[in-house]
Amino acid sequence: MAFAHEFDYVKPRTLREVVKTLARYGTRARVLAGGTDLITLIAEDVVTPAVVVDIKGVPGLDKIEFKNGVLAIGALVTFSDLRDSTVVAKRFPVIREMTGWVASVGIRNRATMVGNICSAVPCCDSGPILLVYDAAVLVAGPSGKRKVPLRDWFLGPRKTVLKRGEIATGIVVALPKKKHGACFVKLRRYEGEDLAQASVTVLAYADNHYRISFGSVAPRPIRGEKIETLLESRSLSDELIQQAVRLVPGEIAPITDIRATKEYRMHMVGVMLERGLRTAVSRITGSGPAYGTSVI
Amino acid sequence: MTKRITVTLNNELRSLDVEPSDVLLDILRETLGVKSPKIGCERGDCGACTVLLDGKTVRTCLILAIEADGHEITTLEGLSRSGLTPVQQSLLKHNSFQCGFCAPGMVLSATELLGKNPTPSKDEVKEAISGNLCRCTGYEPIIDAVVAVGKKAGKRA
Amino acid sequence: MSSLKFVGQSPERIDGLEKVTGAATYVDDIDFGARLLHAEVVETPYAHALIKSIDTSAAEKVPGVVRVVTGKDFPYRFGLYMQDRFSFPTDRVRFVGEQVAAVVARDAKTAKRAAKLVKVVYQELEPVLDLTKALRDDAVLVHPDLGNYTRCPWFFPQAGTNIAHWRKTRKGDIEKGFKEADVILEDTYTVPRYSHCAIEPHVIVGLYDLSGRLTLWSASQSPYTQRHVLAQALAPLGLSHKDIRVVTPYVGGGFGGKAGVSMEIIGAALVMMVKGQPVKVRWSRAQEFYNTYQRQGVIARIKLGAKKDGTITAIEHSLHWDAGGYVEYGANVVNAVGLSATGPYRIPNVKIDSVCVYTNLPPSGPYRGFGYSEFHFGLESHMTRMAHKLGMDPVDFRRKNAIREGDTLAYGAKMNPCGLQESIDRVAAEIGWGKKEVSKDPNKVIGKGFACFWKAPAMPPNAASAAFLKFNEDGSLNIGVSGMEIGQGYMTVMAQIAAEILMVPIEKIRVELPDTDRNAYEWQTVGSHVTWGCGNAVKAAALDVRAKMFEVVERALGIARDTLYLEDEKVKCRTRADFELPLRDFVINGIQTSHGNFIGGPILGSGVFMPEFTSALSDPETSQGGHPNVHYTVGAAAVTLEIDKQTGKMRVLKATLAVDAGKAINPRLVNGQIVGGIVQGLATVLYEDIRFDLRGKLVNANFTDYKIPTSMDVPLEMVPIIVEVAQPDGPFGARGAAEHTMIPAAAMVANAVEDAVGLRMKTMPITAEKVALELQGIPYEDVKGSYTGFCFAGHPDAYKFHTKSAAKK
Repeated sequence: MAFAHEFDYVKPRTLREVVKTLARYGTRARVLAGGTDLITLIAEDVVTPAVVVDIKGVPGLDKIEFKNGVLAIGALVTFSDLRDSTVVAKRFPVIREMTGWVASVGIRNRATMVGNICSAVPCCDSGPILLVYDAAVLVAGPSGKRKVPLRDWFLGPRKTVLKRGEIATGIVVALPKKKHGACFVKLRRYEGEDLAQASVTVLAYADNHYRISFGSVAPRPIRGEKIETLLESRSLSDELIQQAVRLVPGEIAPITDIRATKEYRMHMVGVMLERGLRTAVSRITGSGPAYGTSVI
Repeated sequence: MTKRITVTLNNELRSLDVEPSDVLLDILRETLGVKSPKIGCERGDCGACTVLLDGKTVRTCLILAIEADGHEITTLEGLSRSGLTPVQQSLLKHNSFQCGFCAPGMVLSATELLGKNPTPSKDEVKEAISGNLCRCTGYEPIIDAVVAVGKKAGKRA
Repeated sequence: MSSLKFVGQSPERIDGLEKVTGAATYVDDIDFGARLLHAEVVETPYAHALIKSIDTSAAEKVPGVVRVVTGKDFPYRFGLYMQDRFSFPTDRVRFVGEQVAAVVARDAKTAKRAAKLVKVVYQELEPVLDLTKALRDDAVLVHPDLGNYTRCPWFFPQAGTNIAHWRKTRKGDIEKGFKEADVILEDTYTVPRYSHCAIEPHVIVGLYDLSGRLTLWSASQSPYTQRHVLAQALAPLGLSHKDIRVVTPYVGGGFGGKAGVSMEIIGAALVMMVKGQPVKVRWSRAQEFYNTYQRQGVIARIKLGAKKDGTITAIEHSLHWDAGGYVEYGANVVNAVGLSATGPYRIPNVKIDSVCVYTNLPPSGPYRGFGYSEFHFGLESHMTRMAHKLGMDPVDFRRKNAIREGDTLAYGAKMNPCGLQESIDRVAAEIGWGKKEVSKDPNKVIGKGFACFWKAPAMPPNAASAAFLKFNEDGSLNIGVSGMEIGQGYMTVMAQIAAEILMVPIEKIRVELPDTDRNAYEWQTVGSHVTWGCGNAVKAAALDVRAKMFEVVERALGIARDTLYLEDEKVKCRTRADFELPLRDFVINGIQTSHGNFIGGPILGSGVFMPEFTSALSDPETSQGGHPNVHYTVGAAAVTLEIDKQTGKMRVLKATLAVDAGKAINPRLVNGQIVGGIVQGLATVLYEDIRFDLRGKLVNANFTDYKIPTSMDVPLEMVPIIVEVAQPDGPFGARGAAEHTMIPAAAMVANAVEDAVGLRMKTMPITAEKVALELQGIPYEDVKGSYTGFCFAGHPDAYKFHTKSAAKK
């Protein structure tokens, strides 16, 4: 599977070197972590970098840490690492739930969550999960470090707010203080590995506060703020759920593409929202289907 | 720009020159002489190119050869050298493979699973091999063979 | 019948150890050393265009490029049943992705880079991407020269049109048949194209050595046929069969896609241009999708008539096939269906029109089922609907009309022995037919669907098999055959047949992979016929060898040969309990007499099987008079399907399939075909969804967006059932059973969907999306966007089945 395109390869030993290299090459450089997205882009001549910057030599980026109620996920943490982590399973079970539907084991052993949100494909699975948690991305660049909330991170298909020379070094997710339950619902064409035709994530708090996000039904992952407002402080009832479902067309902008029609996406997001809400709420008290059980 | 890399392949230290744009799958097959990882789709969708990299299954069509520098790779050839492993014996006994093209990837995915989870359920086996496409068998004899290894191990435990 | 020792058992496959250790070698695994050149093909972006010029000068100048080849270098036609194809066309391109040139270079990267520098100037022509337009009198012609093509005598192209072949079958009196019917049901069904998706892509390495001998290492189901097709194509260069050798190692899945000659012609053409240097052409996964054979799409209209007691009186079945830019193989699919589109039923009045239409999509060819999966979707859907219209149970309706031994087939010949009733009964019992199942989940409903199926091998009347057999000093033996082990277990079955005759254990029998220089002839490994055809040849070879052994013993030792028998690798005598001669003692060395001389020597033999009773000659207007199909394999299948009414998602709770294998030489291998076939069949109806854009480009040429089953998609329960009504001319009664197992899947799912949610889906695939939208009242065809699965976009009911324009009528 020869590449027609030649490029240089560097493997910096420090974050500083990474930033320097990226600042120097700008769009002619591409960051390589897991490679499960980048290599295909190069193979199909979609991107033609002059240099590939392998960040796997930078120490400290492969950690999952939970300290003071904040989960820190380093840029080199793979989906398998997340899946195997006891603290993620215990404290952030919906993150673990999501990883079970990302590709397959052999891909998860390499692909990173940070890489997933940096790819910024509208169907990425990590984006919607991190949105409901109001997570933030840690960025290092020529002008120093900054923290970008997920709501500001995605600009559009394959576009993030990263500026020249900047690199995402990790993600921080604050554990919600109140009792809560969550549900990630991913619509796929079958039970095997698939990109999301649509996704709905619900984070439900015991005090009737809800966070809802949608994936693959807009140019970027989005929150369903109208629905969140409707549900605020109200306990779920069949009637309330139907009202929420009726707000879906106003929240999302699905298109018809190779994976699904907009009509199917629109219809299914309503179904997924209903089931996601019921499941998330039932999980607040520890009942409901185990995390990892598909509700559609 | 060529770089000299060192890889431990099936317990043997190998030294070779690679270009940055060389893909690990091609280097394994053409330079390092292991043929069990196969070219199936070149996009990471089929699992035929699977090897164990530091003990974990990876898709070598999505890895640059240069990334393997300093790492350990195990392929099916390495597993088979000292006789059949229990999972290979079970797959043989269950007549699990037909055309055999997916077999190397399947064996390695099953090996990884059994290393982490010696008595997997049917569902756990299905998830572990879900990234290895097989067009011939309908998967049942492969799943049965891997579950059987666990049952046998469970009996001995 | 005396009990069998090896046949009917399920020993471990003889190739199992090679496959589980990674020892099994496929074409791409063979090392050819530093001499090996690599090729990259230049492809057209247009579905239909004239080639005005090809400028290879820039590519030729790239260091490392050895040669750039275009159609001018190799303008020879080729094809299996009709010669309508080129290695590289010289006049025009006929599908997006077709090769117009190739770069041969020292390494793959150079070839790839140089290929981008080849400049081709095209003049676009209107592409033929719609069957309606393709069949109009003023249609743009895909093959204006059709009238001049060499073809087999039982194909009927219509020169001056896009009709490459038209198989007409007429039996009885169709008008009378419908007059006798109390109930008539008529409707249209569509089936899009499908892709084989064998995990091993096509690959070929060729070497035209300095002495002028051509050797090809090919991932092929058909080494001898490849040799023959290439010998015909290369005849202008002075080559004939003796100058060509085809070697086929293990093949990573075929499913029909590796039969005939598709991309291999490119390998042959390139090596002829670079004498003395081997060249490899390996297809990418994308090329696998758009530039190898595809299963062709079809729109079919069925009109069925029956009396109120359920007896079918007449069937009129019109099938228009989107066969692609080249139909040298695909036209036979159309032909096979034209003879058999009654399904496995006894029907006195039959009218079938199976029309093969040239279009500007990829070439069609053999795919597991060879047209039968395609027509069974409509037919078996229609049978269930007819049953409902009659107020009859769908299984009882099939029982009533199920074909039996001796019934007259659509083309006049007689039906072979078959266990269709038994298959129906056992499947109905296994699935719990008649018992309604209810889901605990209020969102879900459960339905059951039933389908029968049949298929005959579609082969020329002289498709022969042959076998060589030789012994070794240790009493082991080698069988030299050219059937291909594509995963079905063919090698093991041949060994079991030989073992049964020679009483040598399987472990001491080797079956050699094909090599046209060394192994005996096999037409192709297609049609599910090699167990039967080659099995007969191997059996004949084993009998030949046994006779020779007994003759030698008689000559050397004076023991009458008709008292001898074989047991436990020894020659024994019925009248002399003390006599036993181990095979290893004499099968190479001969038998030493009391005088000290040796009688005999190496024991070896051969066998040939030719179906001498078949003939493809028949009346072109009615198909009566011939015996084109050697026999039919029949069966039945059923599915229990759970549907979520909100999401449309379908889960197969249980699938069961019975196939009449005549005699299962190795039951576990037959079960393997049933399970594998069920899964592959379900995939075509539930989620494989090929998409072309409106310019004829295949847009989902990868596994990311063309979904084939994973381990997560397997039905909860699959129950294979083997029926055994002996095939009189088969080895130990065996007949083929491998393609058949995917044929009923689509229709039984469609029937289950109707049973569960009341929706009758007449187009494929039947995805969750389609079901969900239909249940919401949104017809999928209205919203699916600018994609099409074959050369027909629109509502099936709007399609008119004429082959002349309205004006000419």
